[in-house]
Amino acid sequence: MAEVRLDCLYEACPIPLLKTMQSLKVLNQGDVLIVETDHSCAIKNIAEWVGKQKLPCEIIEVSNGEWEIYIRKER
Amino acid sequence: MKKVKTKKDQRAYFWFFSFLALILIFLFGITSPYLGYYWLFGILFGFVLQKSRFCFAAAFRDPIIAGSTSLFRAVLVAMAIMTVFFTLIQYNAVQGGALTIPGRISPVGVHTIAGGFIFGIGMVIAGGCATGTLMRIGEGFFMQVIVLIGFLIGTLWGAWDYPWWERVFISNSPTLHLAQYFGWTGAVIFQLVLIAVLYYIAKKYDDQNNILL
Repeated sequence: MAEVRLDCLYEACPIPLLKTMQSLKVLNQGDVLIVETDHSCAIKNIAEWVGKQKLPCEIIEVSNGEWEIYIRKER
Repeated sequence: MKKVKTKKDQRAYFWFFSFLALILIFLFGITSPYLGYYWLFGILFGFVLQKSRFCFAAAFRDPIIAGSTSLFRAVLVAMAIMTVFFTLIQYNAVQGGALTIPGRISPVGVHTIAGGFIFGIGMVIAGGCATGTLMRIGEGFFMQVIVLIGFLIGTLWGAWDYPWWERVFISNSPTLHLAQYFGWTGAVIFQLVLIAVLYYIAKKYDDQNNILL
């Protein structure tokens, strides 16, 4: 059960989504990926895509205009 | 080495700028009624864009990179609504004796495809079209300021090259207005059916494509 942080700060769409896709692929089952981003569209983008993979995800606004997206790779 | 992050209460800014915007509506409005409307609609547009995360770049990019067409379908819905109301405006203007049909009805041809292609490359690299870029600057995503500078340079460059496009493509391209071919009712129905078909295809595409890089 590893926790991996993915730094997507200052990256614009679609880089956060592509990075999320790539790092989620190499994770093991049960690992948690934390995507850090300050791009408001990325949270929408990533949450939608993760939902489509039927994986749980949670978004927390850690600071003004800075979010962390928690994704658990359940399968 | 975790940074301590604090959330600032920004409501004071909100009230300050709302107040400022309200005064500006009045000041623009007494200068010229249209300026007041432009300002008001600009603010409302920005608000809707920011809250809805509506992004034309994502609408045309996400179907290909993520197999998601939700924003593309949102554009189609917007076009369907726009079709009905713009046709009503145009119909009423023509019935009222307007000599030209209102709205931007421009010649369509090779230049449309070329322009769309160039703009498409630019907006995917920049991470936003014109509205998205402006909205994100206002939101505080500062990287887009670089995009805005590029946007201004591109616009000036485009204006510089425009006579060439005008001479080679635009002057001998046809100007189409569907109402000329199908009648007003027919044009609306034709366009709505076309949008409905595209919507159906987009939904099917969304359901079938689950892209995992």
